[in-house]
Amino acid sequence: MTRWGMVIDLDRCTACQACVVACQMENNIPPADRSDSERGRGIAWLRLVPFQEGEHGTRPGLHLVPLLCMHCERPPCTKVCPVHATNPDHEGLVGQVYARCIGCRYCTTACPYTVRQFNWKLPQWPEPMEQALSPDVSVRPRGVVEKCTFCNHRLQRARDQASMEGRSLRDGDYLPACVESCPAEAMVFGDLDDPRSIVTRMSASPRAFRLLDELGTKPKVIYLSKGESGGDV
Amino acid sequence: MTIARRQFIGLMAGATAGAAIGLPGGRLFSNALLSANQPIYPPRGPEEFILSVCNACPGGCGIRARRIGNRVVKIEGNPLHPISGGRLCLKGQAALQALYHPDRIRTPLRRVGPRGALASFRPTTWETALREIAARLRSVREEQRPESVVLIRGAGGEIGTRVARRFIDAFGSPNDIPFDRASEASAAALFLTQGLRATPASDIRAADYILSLGSEMLEASPSPVYTTRAYGDFRQSHAARRGKLVHVDPRLSITAASADEWIHIQPGTHATFALGIAGAMIAEGLHDREFVGDNSTGFDDGPDGGLSGILEQHFPLEKVAAETGVSVNVILRVAREFAGAQKGLALAPNKGPLLGGRAFDHLAVHILNAVAGNIDQPGGLLVAEDVQLEVSPSERDAIAAAGHRRPRLDGVGGDSLIAGDPEQLAQAFATGQPYRAEVLFIVAADPLYASTVHDRFAAAVEHVPLVVSFATIPNDTALYADWVLPEPHFLEQWSLHTSPASVAFPMVSLGSPALPKPLHDVRSTGDVFLDLARRIGLQHALPWPDVPALMHAEVDRLFEARRGAIMGTSFDAAWVRMMEGAGWWAPGYSTAEELWKRSLESGGWWDPFYDHGDWGRVLRTASKRFDFRPDIVRQFAESTSAPAEGAGSLSLILFEPLPIAGGTGAELPSLQALLDPGHEERWQTWGEIHPETASSLRIRDGALIRVASARQAILVRARVTDRIVPGAIAIPVGLGKMAGGRWSEGIGSNPLRLLDGAREPFSLLPDFGGAKVLVSEATPSDQSTVKRT
Amino acid sequence: MATSELDQDERLFAPIETTQPRFWIFIGALFAIGLWGAFAWWTQLRRGLSVTGLNVPVYWGLYITNFVFFIGISHAGTLISAILRLAQAEWRRAITRAAEVITVLVLFFGMGCVILDLGRPDRVLNVLLHGNFTSPLLWDVTSVATYLTASTIYLFLPLIPDIAILRDRMPSRRWLYRPLALGWSGSPRQKRILERTIAVMAVIVIPIAVSVHTVVSWVFAMTVQPMWHSTIFGPYFVVGAIFSGIAAIILAMALIRKAYHLEDYLKPIHFNNLGLLLLVMCLLWFYFTFAEFLTTYYGGEPMHMVIFLSKTEGKFSPLFWTMVLCCFVIPFALLANHRTRTKVWGTVAASIAVEIGMWLERFLIVVPSLSSPRLPMTAASYVPSWVEWSLFAAFISIFILLYALFTKFFPIVSIWEIREGREHSVSEVTTRVLSYLPGASHE
Ligand code: SF4
Ligand code: SF4
Ligand code: SF4
Ligand code: SF4
Ligand code: SF4
Repeated sequence: MTRWGMVIDLDRCTACQACVVACQMENNIPPADRSDSERGRGIAWLRLVPFQEGEHGTRPGLHLVPLLCMHCERPPCTKVCPVHATNPDHEGLVGQVYARCIGCRYCTTACPYTVRQFNWKLPQWPEPMEQALSPDVSVRPRGVVEKCTFCNHRLQRARDQASMEGRSLRDGDYLPACVESCPAEAMVFGDLDDPRSIVTRMSASPRAFRLLDELGTKPKVIYLSKGESGGDV
Repeated sequence: MTIARRQFIGLMAGATAGAAIGLPGGRLFSNALLSANQPIYPPRGPEEFILSVCNACPGGCGIRARRIGNRVVKIEGNPLHPISGGRLCLKGQAALQALYHPDRIRTPLRRVGPRGALASFRPTTWETALREIAARLRSVREEQRPESVVLIRGAGGEIGTRVARRFIDAFGSPNDIPFDRASEASAAALFLTQGLRATPASDIRAADYILSLGSEMLEASPSPVYTTRAYGDFRQSHAARRGKLVHVDPRLSITAASADEWIHIQPGTHATFALGIAGAMIAEGLHDREFVGDNSTGFDDGPDGGLSGILEQHFPLEKVAAETGVSVNVILRVAREFAGAQKGLALAPNKGPLLGGRAFDHLAVHILNAVAGNIDQPGGLLVAEDVQLEVSPSERDAIAAAGHRRPRLDGVGGDSLIAGDPEQLAQAFATGQPYRAEVLFIVAADPLYASTVHDRFAAAVEHVPLVVSFATIPNDTALYADWVLPEPHFLEQWSLHTSPASVAFPMVSLGSPALPKPLHDVRSTGDVFLDLARRIGLQHALPWPDVPALMHAEVDRLFEARRGAIMGTSFDAAWVRMMEGAGWWAPGYSTAEELWKRSLESGGWWDPFYDHGDWGRVLRTASKRFDFRPDIVRQFAESTSAPAEGAGSLSLILFEPLPIAGGTGAELPSLQALLDPGHEERWQTWGEIHPETASSLRIRDGALIRVASARQAILVRARVTDRIVPGAIAIPVGLGKMAGGRWSEGIGSNPLRLLDGAREPFSLLPDFGGAKVLVSEATPSDQSTVKRT
Repeated sequence: MATSELDQDERLFAPIETTQPRFWIFIGALFAIGLWGAFAWWTQLRRGLSVTGLNVPVYWGLYITNFVFFIGISHAGTLISAILRLAQAEWRRAITRAAEVITVLVLFFGMGCVILDLGRPDRVLNVLLHGNFTSPLLWDVTSVATYLTASTIYLFLPLIPDIAILRDRMPSRRWLYRPLALGWSGSPRQKRILERTIAVMAVIVIPIAVSVHTVVSWVFAMTVQPMWHSTIFGPYFVVGAIFSGIAAIILAMALIRKAYHLEDYLKPIHFNNLGLLLLVMCLLWFYFTFAEFLTTYYGGEPMHMVIFLSKTEGKFSPLFWTMVLCCFVIPFALLANHRTRTKVWGTVAASIAVEIGMWLERFLIVVPSLSSPRLPMTAASYVPSWVEWSLFAAFISIFILLYALFTKFFPIVSIWEIREGREHSVSEVTTRVLSYLPGASHE
């Protein structure tokens, strides 16, 4: 079995937000203008959230955490979709069917991580910006929900590449855009079921934790806290 | 009441049914009625990856553009490139929005109306523009006044700028005036202590303890991706142990948030703190005796016991503690930690490309590094060897030679610590002294936005008969020019970049156009100056038909250097193996032609080898030793006085968020939405104030506030937070532009306007440190008078 | 004379046979508001939900609030009248129909709210084509549809005899009444069948009604969101539904009574009795609300406390305390007091308060939990837009309009049941009451 997952090392992460823009550029996310942005309607599949822990003593206590879809193994979002428009696939990618979604936004309210985005209006690119649109990712219509797909179109590309070279998929062949861009190399991606993969070994680090683990959603995005590397790779 | 009942019922029924059931589905409905689907035109054609160099900032990252048919659909890092290592920052990622920006300049523009408004410009042709500019240049030379042609340019590792400089030189003007505030202060410190004209590079990757004295290295580095990559390894490198980062600053910046410890000190006391640490180290005998003994002067020799004597006398811990507001214990602890670290590294207060800081702050930190023995050591302060590309020093004709004997208009030269002096330049423009400026070229710089004397500058520009500005998207300076010449986006042109500041190895990055032809009627700055050279008969100095030809010539020159390697080949074995696993193969070279070809295939050439402790190279003072400059330290010590506290007046702290650092980025919507992850600020300029200060000034969080200096007032959004010390206000630089297109014009405000052009006495660098502002909640009248945020 | 007129129930035929101009003015006004709503909806269809005040993370707002509210109201009629029928409460006869009509009509508007809320109403049929039965929304669709069908039948059955009466009385409208009367002749056999079916429906309809609002509550309770994920939401919602339902009946009755001068049919005693029911629900509602908030507060789970505090002392507190005032303090004061309860205005005033309060309650369930998500984010606060308010107003107007039109075609008080009451029940009840008592029964 394959279980795609991501490890984010918060000790390396500098909150530079390269991943955020990389995602927008890769996935044809329309640029939000000022008013949308200020009304919280700018679409971002990945964003940094500030956690403030206590007062600022000599420890800064401000943690900036990249937040994307956790591709939960027990996703609260997919259960509630009335039309099967969002489903986990056999490799654990939680996908969206834009053509079927009725825009009820039940999934968005059910997701405890608030990472689902809604197309409040028709996505638009002032001429000639539409020329930068990638052919690999469909542009969403107005009125449907979207979210991080773990760049599953890149999995397709990686598979084709591998089969062209007559080999099976290797660790590192399939990298989402955010992971590829991260200058601090804080993001690592791979198969959590492959004991030799880097993600598997890193997710075993004593620094590893998951967001809202207590809800039993079983996130496949795993974070490494700041601090001495406890012998993780 | 006249309507017959039955029609009535019909209507009702319709209305209700409509409201209750909703109309049944179908594409026709969703497209025609709802217009819910965006008609898009996916690019057709083969997929190609073109190597180029990002120019969204001076960082110099090697990139690869993913092209499909005739469209670039994604920018990624070039995995072989030593700066980017296949990674990119958010600006590099967003650069596609600049390429396809709807408000790009599409043809040459000539001004027909008053300065300062885009509406005053009319489209024209390249032929007209170049003919008229050339005519003016020719007449100036005929009048034997070549010096009256002025070039204001940015950092200038990029080839267009270098062609412009070569042109000005051959033309015969000494006025090649850099407008690059980023590295002046650190360069000054290096020159004062090591006698070198260069910018020091901090070896963050190899350090194991970084004492950041207000250095926003993670936001405002000269090469963000390179620094961020280095930081990642500094933290969790697979080999070494985790490095520790201590950030000393009045503000909890993004860098501070990443730090293990944030020591908040009083604004403007970084130098005092650094010297305090140095003093404590010396007092405890923790300084690097070997380096100090063998390679330095002015440590304990000379008047009043050299540095150690002066520190002992003028920087007792209690005094330092009092001034900085940090307890003696903490200072001592940090001093011991820093001294105890194997590879300690102190970083100077660099707040960003536009806010390089005060020379003395950098000097103090440089001295601290020297005391700790971090000069030219792994994990310390290095100096890049520069690589000789100039094909041949462009020979000057008689007129040119005469011109070069004149002084520079901004009075800079000889031992001055600044590279350029916009204020003096403005003065010279206005007064026509020492001589009149006839032609002004502005390349890769936006002094009207970024200088602290923009209004004087704007007024002065009026006195220059011919002002030519080069830009891709109109910037504030362009609005004041007579001619605006549209530059290609970096994905539309050939590029050649040398090492950015803060990178410790020589490097030449090459890039070819990612688009078969530019989107608009644009010409590269290099080609424009080559063309002008032909028109006015300077071929002897600039004989090349076009930029690629020049690049080729320069790479041939590189071949003669007989060193370095094609990018990729000299990475450590694991790296190369990983690359080749990913299908990359980078050969060495045996001929100049091969070097040229392979460099284009792999992204360029570099020389990863660094010879640490090569004192002959890095210590160029008269004494061939590191000079601790006790003289300057004493001056400072005697001049220091606790900043005066005016009623309700706050210390102004400026910083540059990464998305808009260097005064670029505001024009891209994706960046406007990501101004600050800490406060989730977007599309506005904000001011950070401590809760105590806020309540004493009766300022609510989120309120619109008026920030006023003696010079001007701006409006910003109050952000009440304990991420800053009381008695100060921190405001980001990068918004508040007159130009920049639909997403930039009139968004936010520019705090540089608050500065009164105060200068640091001995360096003449702009001094942001002592600035004070009055802050109050904005009244409705303010909102009408002052520009809305 | 007067008595004879009353015996003939002429008052009940009057609204159907004669209509004053002011009625049409009234209708016209309502229709105008309806048209304005149509325009608002058109705007939303063209420009998408960007014309609402919704945002991230407040994905749901007025539309979902109204959905819960309207479905709640629907518990007025069918449920109440079914219970009263089964309980053989004789005072029900004058009010059951007025109540049942509310149910049938308001359900459409409940469903309508969901349609309004969809990003892609054009794809609403996907719910049938690709239904996912693990989704509470689909449970909703199912139970509401069932409830609508059952209620419609349950409204129609008792109408048949009255339609027959009208058929024979108004030749001009045979085209309408004849087919609907299903050839009712009033034969004992027909009577027997009708009464049995009504009784059966009454039994069936109660669990369905209960299920409906239980399932509505599960739309929220099945998520893991703070202050939604609660086990008592089912009964809590049902209680609230009946609460607002009864208030709705009282208001409807008061209007009809005034408009059609039915003081002799809808007497203070009816209002008093319903008032008592309302009082019971008021106390139940308070009990559930108290239980819900106490457990949250006592548990003190941080995530839940954020929402709790935003309601009790945060930015939603004005709405919250108004809700407490309207749902408990005011109605309790008015209804617990015999003097005010027995007055029509007393129960009416209480009912108005309850409707306002219950709407606020629905709003305070939907919005605050979304406003402060578990993970920090700058939440743009939610302010409903003109489009949302317009559609709310339009729905209410059109509802009243349809209700008014109903009274123009069918008796809003069941004529035959009233007559039956007069003719048989009096004696029936005496024997029934006697049968409850020892000794008094006579073999
Ligand atoms: S790109 Fe990497 S370092 Fe930058 S914010 Fe994203 S995860 Fe953090
Ligand atoms: S994070 Fe949210 S959206 Fe993603 S799978 Fe989990 S619940 Fe669904
Ligand atoms: S919004 Fe779309 S994906 Fe989400 S629950 Fe509704 S239909 Fe499913
Ligand atoms: S994995 Fe792909 S889709 Fe998900 S956040 Fe990263 S870039 Fe965006
Ligand atoms: S650091 Fe500068 S050069 Fe590198 S990608 Fe970012 S903007 Fe481009």
